[in-house]
Amino acid sequence: MMGPLLNIQGLTVAYDSKTGPITAVDHVNLQLQQDEFLAIVGESGCGKSTLSLSVIGLLPKPPAKIVEGLIQYKDTDLVHLPGNKIREFRGTEIAMIFQEPLTSLSPVYRVGDQIAEAIVIRESRKDRKTSIDSDIMQRTYKRNARLLKRTVRLKHKIPADLQEEVIRYLTLVRIGDPEQVLERYPFELSGGMTQRVMIAMALSQEPALLLADEPTTALDVTTQAQVLKLMKELIRKVRTSILLVTHDLAVASQVADRVVVMYAGQIAEDDDVISLFSHPLHPYTQGLLSCIPSGYKDDSQLKPISGSLPDLRGVQIGCRFAPRCPHAMAVCNKQHPQLIQYGENQKVSCFLYD
Amino acid sequence: MISTSETILRTENLKKYFPIRKGFNPFLRREQRFVRAVDGVSISVEKGKTVAIVGESGCGKTTLARTIGLMTQPTGGKLYFGEKEVTDGKIDRNQIYRNMQMVYQDPESSLDPRMKIGQSIGEPLYGLMGWEKKVVNDAVSRSLELVGLSADFAERLPRQLSGGQKQRVAIARAIAIQPSLVILDEPTSALDASVQAQILKLLLDIQKEFNLTYLLITHNIAVAKYMSDFVAVMYAGNVVEYGPCKTVISKPRHPYTIALISSAPVPDPTTRNLLKTEIRGEVPSAIDPPTGCKFHPRCPFAEAICTSTDPPLEEISPGHLAACHFLNKTG
Repeated sequence: MMGPLLNIQGLTVAYDSKTGPITAVDHVNLQLQQDEFLAIVGESGCGKSTLSLSVIGLLPKPPAKIVEGLIQYKDTDLVHLPGNKIREFRGTEIAMIFQEPLTSLSPVYRVGDQIAEAIVIRESRKDRKTSIDSDIMQRTYKRNARLLKRTVRLKHKIPADLQEEVIRYLTLVRIGDPEQVLERYPFELSGGMTQRVMIAMALSQEPALLLADEPTTALDVTTQAQVLKLMKELIRKVRTSILLVTHDLAVASQVADRVVVMYAGQIAEDDDVISLFSHPLHPYTQGLLSCIPSGYKDDSQLKPISGSLPDLRGVQIGCRFAPRCPHAMAVCNKQHPQLIQYGENQKVSCFLYD
Repeated sequence: MISTSETILRTENLKKYFPIRKGFNPFLRREQRFVRAVDGVSISVEKGKTVAIVGESGCGKTTLARTIGLMTQPTGGKLYFGEKEVTDGKIDRNQIYRNMQMVYQDPESSLDPRMKIGQSIGEPLYGLMGWEKKVVNDAVSRSLELVGLSADFAERLPRQLSGGQKQRVAIARAIAIQPSLVILDEPTSALDASVQAQILKLLLDIQKEFNLTYLLITHNIAVAKYMSDFVAVMYAGNVVEYGPCKTVISKPRHPYTIALISSAPVPDPTTRNLLKTEIRGEVPSAIDPPTGCKFHPRCPFAEAICTSTDPPLEEISPGHLAACHFLNKTG
């Protein structure tokens, strides 16, 4: 594979509002290589979710609008792809896991059926078949035949070969007794289990790129540890690249190969994980790191970043972090810093390194 | 647990069960079932100290806070404020609330959207303390100043404030009456990292200034470590380990505490503790908890005795207690 798997150039996304457009993502440049585990870190409102949604083409348009920029996946430009074409990528090439597993699974279908449906769609796409012959697909797509659906549902069993496939993916995400789990409804499973089912479903598409938007934020720490460990294993086992969106720097440090720090819609810093945590360049990254409580009560002192996030409405002049920055200079308020290469693996947008 | 003259709050085998209603006909409900949210908790909080209650969702930490905050009646056990027992419900709550205040997780819903910030902070000062208007106004602007907001915030409405500012207001309201005990129920969970740091620092500064006592409820080990003097780890309604913060965090003895601490991500890419953690399974149901030690289905050290007998809290070193049959294996 030549070149990056995902190449984002100058992406700008704005949301329309009554008081003018809000630029949620502002001229973002980002590359994701094959087999890379990339984490996008930032506080709420920094545009990290908008960025991931625009990659998979799920931005709510309107109010969202891609103002300019390029999202290149392999050789395809996803921005200018018509809606029906992007569906071919969604799921099969690029899959996504969301924060709330319970709201992303259908409550009225059994877990096994939902994964089976995903597999059937994958197969039909592979063969470029439009006719769908599996009975699951009939059940799912013949929405008018409700009565039929009900009777089918009572007797329904997933075909044996499909069931085997479903069990294979459930085992892959380390679900203990997959035969029982696939007969259950999402509400019968715990939070960690539903998130695993979501991951199994996403993986059943054999995606080359997996977008994970805060996949463990709704989970407990012990469950979070299990899910993150699983994701880290999968990148080796099934050769998928992962783009993890998280607010938690600690989580990113534990799993990612490379970390992108976003602030107010822009990339502040883009480093490999080791150098980001040992030598953070951007003052915002430094501030974020010193905001994580790490010591004990009396022998440590937090150094919080003063102030709060800027208003993203209207035209922005200068560095967006300048009002909160301890190193702000005159130039910071006049000009916007570019993302520049610093050292071998580090990129930073700050005039301190110009 | 040992009670000293400075003990502000003490619970003895405190229990809170919630009955589950099955059907509408009371005669058909033969066997009454309960969610055992808090199942026998004994802790004591000393003046000027912070005790952190740490645990995952569903372990009963918030129910414990609500029971201590006299918002629900305990099902069993005893609750003392100072020397006074307050379990029986015949006490004058306002008397207690003059010494105890709470700060909640979600600043959005703990402030009345139609009341100005000044009114919100001033309300307990009139109602609870019966202060004069002038005194109240002074107290409001003083406590706003304490939490790092200017006095003109008193005229604003909650919707004009950011999440961090709202949480500051909630803290200002809690400390305005100068209580001795403040219960902090996940005070920073809804906030961003940079705002969380500001609030934590503020809480510590206020504690130092007024010699406040905190009961901190949190799921975040790093926050507990940074804020507290003593840590109680809860699992499925019980305290499984209790001790001085440094001891519990650096030398945890209960297998659950060990798992919990090793699953908490540390911002250090060179160690990657999270990928080494061995914990499996999830928090059990509080309706049908496992027999014996509630942690045994997930415990790497579990043996036959763990399924039958619930281990009591044992003292390992002075002040450090843990409830496990195999403490010799975990040390």
